[in-house]
Parts: sequence; C-alpha cells; structure tokens
Amino acid sequence: MWRPSLLRHLLAWSLGTVLLVWATFVLIGFYTGAQEADEVTDGHLASVASLMLTQRLQGVSVPPDAAALGGRLELKAHDYQQSLSVVEWSADGRLLVRIGEAPLASFNQAEGFETVMIGTPPTPWRVFSRWDRPDQQRKITVLLSVAERDELAYDIAAQVAMPGLWLLPVVALVLTLAVRRGLRPMLDLSQQVERLEIKRNVSLRGPPHQEFKPVVSSINTLIERYNAALDRERALASEVAHELRTPLASLSLHAASLRGNPTELERTQALQRIEQDAVRAGNVLTQLLSLARASRAELAGAAQPTDLVQLARSVAAEYGQAAHASGHTLALEAVPTCSLNAHPLLLEIALRNLIDNALAHTPRGTAVQVKVSDEPPTIEVCDNGQVSGEVSGQGSGHPQVAASSAKALGLGLGHQVVGRVALVHNGRFDILQSADGSSTCYKLILGRIH
Amino acid sequence: MRVLAIEDDESIAHGLCMALRREGWAVDVAPSVAAAWSALCAEPFDMVLLDLGLADGDGAEVLRRLRQAPANGLPDAATPVLIMTARDQIASRISGLDLGADDYLTKPFDVGELAARMRALRRRAAGRAQPTLSFGEYQIDPAARTVSRAGQAVDLSSREFDVLMVLMEARPRVLSRQQIETSLYSWDRLLGSNAIEVHIHRLRKKLGDGVVQTMRGVGYFVPVEAAA
Repeated sequence: MWRPSLLRHLLAWSLGTVLLVWATFVLIGFYTGAQEADEVTDGHLASVASLMLTQRLQGVSVPPDAAALGGRLELKAHDYQQSLSVVEWSADGRLLVRIGEAPLASFNQAEGFETVMIGTPPTPWRVFSRWDRPDQQRKITVLLSVAERDELAYDIAAQVAMPGLWLLPVVALVLTLAVRRGLRPMLDLSQQVERLEIKRNVSLRGPPHQEFKPVVSSINTLIERYNAALDRERALASEVAHELRTPLASLSLHAASLRGNPTELERTQALQRIEQDAVRAGNVLTQLLSLARASRAELAGAAQPTDLVQLARSVAAEYGQAAHASGHTLALEAVPTCSLNAHPLLLEIALRNLIDNALAHTPRGTAVQVKVSDEPPTIEVCDNGQVSGEVSGQGSGHPQVAASSAKALGLGLGHQVVGRVALVHNGRFDILQSADGSSTCYKLILGRIH
Repeated sequence: MRVLAIEDDESIAHGLCMALRREGWAVDVAPSVAAAWSALCAEPFDMVLLDLGLADGDGAEVLRRLRQAPANGLPDAATPVLIMTARDQIASRISGLDLGADDYLTKPFDVGELAARMRALRRRAAGRAQPTLSFGEYQIDPAARTVSRAGQAVDLSSREFDVLMVLMEARPRVLSRQQIETSLYSWDRLLGSNAIEVHIHRLRKKLGDGVVQTMRGVGYFVPVEAAA
C-alpha cells in the first residue's frame, strides 16, 4: 500500500521551489538577453550612421554588396557579424548611395530608430536615419533585417540562459542528497521506534538533537507506564492464581479422599474442608468481581458527591455483629464530615475488604478501629492484633497472611482490590506497621476526581 | 515411602496427608522454611513435596539448601523434590527445575497424577525403569499395591505391603528395624514396639521364608536373586 513519505514530500517541495526559481531566472535572463541584444544592434545602427556621415560616399559604386560579402566565409569574422545596409540621400531626396541587400526605404523616414515593413513581400526591418547637421546636405539610413536581429538576440539570450539548463539537474541531485542526509536523524529515530520492543522495558535512546527530546522523552514515559501497568497486571494475575488455586487444590484433594474408604471421622473432616474451601474460592471470586467493578467504574467515570463519614459509619455498623461473634472490638473515629467526589460503591468494597481482613486475620480480643479524616480524605483501618504469620506475597510485594479459616483469604488479592480503588480515586494505599509489629494501619488516601 | 510435605496451607496439607497415607506412604508436614529444614536435618525422607510460597520465605530456599548439603549425612542432598505450587509461569517452572527440583506440578492437581509422579521419582531414584518389581516368581506392582505369585494374587495387608516395598527397594541392603520404622511411620503415628517383627513374621507366612531374610543383630533384607 502506498503511503506518503516525508522524504518525498520534502523533495517535492524543495525541488518544486528550485524549479520555479530557476525557471523565473531563465526567463528573466532570456528576455534580458534579447533586450540587450536589441540595444546593442540599435547601437550598431547608430554607430554605422555616424561613421557614414563622416565619409563622403558619393561616387562609391554600389557593388560589392556587403550582404553578399557577409555570406562569404572568408569575410565572416565573428558569429555576431551582421549584414547592415546603408542608403544615402541628398537634401532634395535624390538617392546617392545604396549599400546592402535591404529594400529601399522611404526618404521621408523620420530621424531615429523605427521598425518598418518594406520590400516585396513586406518584411520587418530595423531602421535608423539621421541628417548631417546643421546644414542637412545628406541623409543616412542604416537598415538591418529584424529576423537577423532577432536571431542574434535569441542566440545571446540562449547563451545567457544555458548555464541554468545544466545547473538544474545538478542542483536537484545535490538537493536530494542534502535532504536525505538532513533527514537521517529522523530516519534513525523512526527505525529505533520501529525496532522498539516495548515489553523488554528498554528505553529509547534516540538521536541527540534537541528537537527530538520531547518525542523521545514522551515515548520513554509511555514505555515506563506500560511496563509498570504490565507488572501490576502480572502481579495481580499471580495473586489471583495463587488465591484461587490454593482452595481448588485443597478441594480436589479432599474430594479425592472421599473416593476411597474413609473412616467416619475422615469423611466428616473432608466434608468440612470441602465446605471451607468452597467458601474460600467464593471469596476469591467476590474479590475478582470487585476488581472488575473497580475497572468498570473507572471507565464509566461516574463519580458523585459522597460523604465519607456517612459511608464509613454505615459499613462499620454492618460489621457490629460479625466483630462481636469473632471476639473483636470494632470502633469508628471520624471527623464531623468529609465530602468528596468519589465512587461510593468502590469505597464501600475497599472498606469492607479492610474490615474483613482485620477481623479474619487478627486474634480474638483485637481492637479494630476505622478512622476517617480529611485534608486529604483518608480512610484507615487499624488493628492492634498480630497477624497469624506474614508471608511474602507472590510477586505482589504486599504482605500476605496465611489463611486460618474459611473466611480468611490471603491478603494479597484484597489489597490489590483496595490498591485499584485508590488508583481510580487518584490516591494511594499504604500499609503502616508499628516498629514492634503490635499494630497495623491500612490507609486509603483519596485524591481528587471529577 | 517417607514423604515430607512442605506446605503452609493447612487445608491442602491435611488433604495431602489423607491422600498419600492412602497410598501407604508416611507423610510429615512442615509449614515453613525453618520447620522444613529442621525436619530434613532430623530425619531421612524418601521424597519432598515443596510449596514455594511459605509463611517465612520462599520454598526455593529449602531446595537450594538441600542441594548444597554435604554428602553422606542429613539432610540427604539426593532426596527427590517435587515442587507443587500455584505459580504456573514458565519462568517459575524453569527456575524451580534448574534449582534442582526433580518435577514440577501446578495447583490444583489430581491426586492420582501426584502419586504417579512420586512413584516415577522413586523409581528413578532407585535406578529402575520398570514400573513393577520382581523377585523370583513374585511380581510387585507399587501403583496397584498388589503382589502376585505366578499370576496368583497374594493377599497382603497395607502395612505388610509397605514393609515389603521398603525392603525390595533397598535390596540387598540390610535395614534395621528402626530404619524400616522411619520409612513407614510419620511423627504423629504411634507404633508398637514389635510392630515390624509382627509384619515380617506375617510376610514370611504369606510369601515363604526365602523372600525376607534376617541378619541377626542387624536387621532384615531381601537378597538379590542368583543369576540364572
């Protein structure tokens, strides 16, 4: 498929411009050459007339004809040698001398230069006439064929324009090479961009020219963002795989154990485990749905005015019974009001996640506190209980906690959800742990969205 | 076969114990890198099932340490290791196998496949290619857990079969009673003081006196058959 090329575009414009300028110069040269040739010819006519007036031509026999002599090679001394004709009259109009091949011009011809049609058939002649002042005894008329005059003029004009003719292809060639060479940094950049393997996370170096700096910088920023997003997605996929595969593996093992001849105790235990693992897998799916909702809400962009305090109070109230049943104390500490533009559904999901984790991963007797503050709008869930055992997240970088019950999920996926909600709100998600590890705060700091 | 399952998920560990004990194998569970290393330093294991995401670190650390262990002692650097993990990326498999694992299985897995892979690893560790063992006119099928004599099935209890397998796989090495016990019983199983003698006695009654030999004061062994 044919595509526009910057090189061709530049060449077309530059060569077109050169051609236009060249043509203008050649035309001007040609007409100037022709005009100057005419002037020179007129000068010759006047010179010959002056010369003749200083000579006494009466009595000079008419032959030999200068025109005929001009045709003879031995008399031809120069390319620009012309066949001039001269006529001399007496004061009363009597023809005294006539030299040359020109037809006889009229005696009444006015003094000065003129182009007249004379002869049979009439042909144009350039004529110069003058009297021998002051007594006007003789009149001299010098004639030159306009055809011959024009031939000389065109010849001179062509000589003037000729260098331009062979200069044009040379200029075109040199210009093409110069444009190609000048565009080389851009072609280099283009090739580097074409060869760029964005997934390898290698920055674009680009040519050193300052004009390319914004482009190279923008491309490198995009590469960094792309790879950061890719890493986040990989971490998320790894987290999801781990969280989902673990209960499924356990389900598979316990289901297989029922196939043999289990004792009543083994059968009961296996069934309990299967039930717990099914709930665990279900919780993972809930988290995945939350992630999907977070992404969808981000795309929809339907943020609305939200009272963060009211939202936190409402969610915390729903966990009263659950906290009581698990032996935790749950409390809310909030500023009087905190309004912002937000996605309330997503904030609710994030807060539920944090409270769920706090209740599931800390021992009985732990105090869980939900805090809401403004400047900037922040939701915190803090607990003073020690988690059952931290592990490094599988590629997520988040701390994880070993599952201890059917309710307890690894924290990695839950934190991914909260982190995603923070991103949607142009905010961030931090995990702060006290130096002695006795308390942990999960902090969702929200930014401004429209 | 004595198996150490290094797994931090209690539910999976429980399921593994149930499934592998049904295969007649003794299974101990270690939920962390530290516990796993302590177990490997304390007891000889025929196989290690290794999860990578553990509570106190990466399971690969256990594998690294195990393969670097000095020869002729505990832990046994030659112990077959099967990685079972939720990490399914090719890079993770490659690094696990390159680190010295003998096999790699992604969760969730089929118990039958896991057992078959473990038997294959055991065969490879014992230098055998055939899936069955033979001694004279006896054929032993570890997968089906059956013994036949000239095509006729011999009825053995699960524990008698396990004792026979331990001796067959070790032959002609003489195994002490304690060595047989550690191959068959995990830490949490109570064992009678003369349980092994009882199983040997029953095996002799069912298979004849020529199969399991006693070296007084040392232990028991299955002799290598004389070349025909």
